Amino acid sequence: MLNPSGTLNVAVIVKLEPDFSEGNVSYNSDGTLNRAETKNVLGPHSAVASSAALYAKVKYGANVSVATMGPPIAEAALQQSQLICNADELHLYSDRIFAGADTLATSEVLRAGIKKMANEQGIDIVFSGHRASDGETGQTGPQTAWKLGYPFIGNVIDYDIDKERGYVRLQRLIKNYGHNDIIEELESPLPVFITLDPSYSPFFNTVSQRLNLALNQNDAEKRSSRYKEYLKTFSAQSLELNLKSVGLPGSPTIVYKVEKIPRAKANRKADIIDGYSQENLSQVARRIYGILGETIIK
Amino acid sequence: MTSAVSETKTNANNIQGILVNDTENENRKRTAEEKEKEEENNNRHLYVVIEQEEGKILPASFEMLGEGRRLMDNFNSKYNPKENVVAIILGHNIKHLCQELIYHGADAVICADHPELRYPRNLLYTKIISQIATDKSSAAQISSSNNTFNKPRYMFFSADDTGRHLSSTVLAELESGLASDINKLVINDLEIRHEHKTKGKPISYKKTLEMYRPDFSGFLWTTILCLDNLNPENKKEFYPQACSIIPGVFPQIERDTNRNGKVIDFTPTILQEDLKVKIIGRRTIKNKVDFNNKKAIVSFGRGIKENAEQNIKLIENFAKEIEAEIGISLPISKKPYIINENLSSTYMIPDRVIGTSGRKVNPLVYFAVGISGAVQHIAGMKEAEFVISINPDAEAPIIDESDIFIKGKIEEVLPLLIKEIKKYKEKMQIPQEVK
Repeated sequence: MLNPSGTLNVAVIVKLEPDFSEGNVSYNSDGTLNRAETKNVLGPHSAVASSAALYAKVKYGANVSVATMGPPIAEAALQQSQLICNADELHLYSDRIFAGADTLATSEVLRAGIKKMANEQGIDIVFSGHRASDGETGQTGPQTAWKLGYPFIGNVIDYDIDKERGYVRLQRLIKNYGHNDIIEELESPLPVFITLDPSYSPFFNTVSQRLNLALNQNDAEKRSSRYKEYLKTFSAQSLELNLKSVGLPGSPTIVYKVEKIPRAKANRKADIIDGYSQENLSQVARRIYGILGETIIK
Repeated sequence: MTSAVSETKTNANNIQGILVNDTENENRKRTAEEKEKEEENNNRHLYVVIEQEEGKILPASFEMLGEGRRLMDNFNSKYNPKENVVAIILGHNIKHLCQELIYHGADAVICADHPELRYPRNLLYTKIISQIATDKSSAAQISSSNNTFNKPRYMFFSADDTGRHLSSTVLAELESGLASDINKLVINDLEIRHEHKTKGKPISYKKTLEMYRPDFSGFLWTTILCLDNLNPENKKEFYPQACSIIPGVFPQIERDTNRNGKVIDFTPTILQEDLKVKIIGRRTIKNKVDFNNKKAIVSFGRGIKENAEQNIKLIENFAKEIEAEIGISLPISKKPYIINENLSSTYMIPDRVIGTSGRKVNPLVYFAVGISGAVQHIAGMKEAEFVISINPDAEAPIIDESDIFIKGKIEEVLPLLIKEIKKYKEKMQIPQEVK
């Protein structure tokens, strides 16, 4: 069944991440990311999760709350997410004690935050991104789901809600690297925890949905320009967290060392060719032809 | 992953050689006690979670067994008592696969065979893998040791979608540490000094799994450890030390039918509640990007950036000229350039990524255009028959994987090269037409 309020309640978990777009990202001369010089934005996968919440809002009139864990600057991610999904509430989980958390300790904070929402208003779906573009573990979503006791369903490319029955029907994409991919269709009672496949994009197929979309987008712009009115900040105490299960104390793992990956032994001995010489390139063309032969010349 | 900076020192090979003052001596005594405690713990063996699709074991699972075998052979030559490589396999009608796992390096296989387990479903699989990982009676059949069994010492999963999700939820259930996307593993005794784990005091951690993970840039290697909290204010044991392993990085060991091992049937406890997520349908789809049926692949990387749109168009033309499929390096899939939407959604997509987080390819000719050659990318293309790189920087690591290295800027080299190929084609076509 849907939560008792009768309105579909959706939570989105997002993350502030380095902006990898050209002009904003900065790399050190050795190829590593220059974090000090790189701007931060709502992560691309978090943006996809936000667009899944927008779909719930447009199609099912959902109530949407966006949450993140991070220092005060992580507000920026909440604001950018609100601009996408026209969120009704923004929740920032921020406390010095959360610093240095690994995925298990992070998911403990997110569990407490979502649980609080569930206790107050009921939660039917939690959305989060495929993985962060900096940490790239993809673990925090499923770990939060497990701690909440919600079924975890990953790589979702499409979903629809049956509000009467309180069920969700989904399609997910399973990548079988090297083999053909699989599309799996599933059904689950609510609540569920969903991570979206990077290829997810909401599709609004009726006129009323498109009208509703325009209204929401209009609203979202207004709201996100005054996002602080929608923002609530929670500390470890207000989330009733055990301080031993968050931050450094709650993290089973540590980063032991960081080193440059040593350059591998050369596997091939390259002929170095001056690329501005037509004659040289003519020779290269001949060699390409020699290998590919009839494939390219029919 | 933690961003904590830990103050650590590699191993205690020469602990005796270090001069210590009295308080440190005290610490050492305590360390010795800790060590004994550690020796007594009941966490044993390496458990490897196998994946199979319709009765076929995925190659990454054999690779994990290969690496597990190597690690535990070293472990057993260094430590006592001996510990084992234990494969966990779930599915339906899969009994015949167990022997294969032993031929590929497992000492024992724990098998849960049940109609409901035909396809992986996160909720159900997590419950059953966790049941197996804490099952004392299966563990008792693995080794004759009298000690009771608590949890696995180490645990491996594959870093594909299914394995990544399962590793996360299983470790949330077992409440221990997990590192993802690992490509190097070492077991070592380490002396650790950490602000929280050891409250700043040096403590020796035995049999610790060092888990190496390349970061997103491909240039940094981060070593993750899963360590017990030995801080007197917050003691906690963390087992298993677990990780997900990048498919394709570790070699399988040769299949050997003389290898023996135990196969243990595990009868799972399945509650109605565990079955609430239902699979309604499953269908295979063809990949839109098909690298397997092309003799040539042209890949591009961040080197296109000075004129991204124009360069992508050049690459598109070039690929068309030689009938190649187009690949990209991982950073490009993050859409770092604002270009024509059509080009962006055609080319700057995860499906085209070549490397450890994408596809592995072996075309007759591989072109690396503006690709510097991060390890993850090289892992995806090193099996190519012939490699031609275009890059202005002859210091770029890709040179070590190239047969021909064309030094120059993409926007200047490619138009010339396309022209030369066209000339060649014309030259070769005319006589054919005459025939």
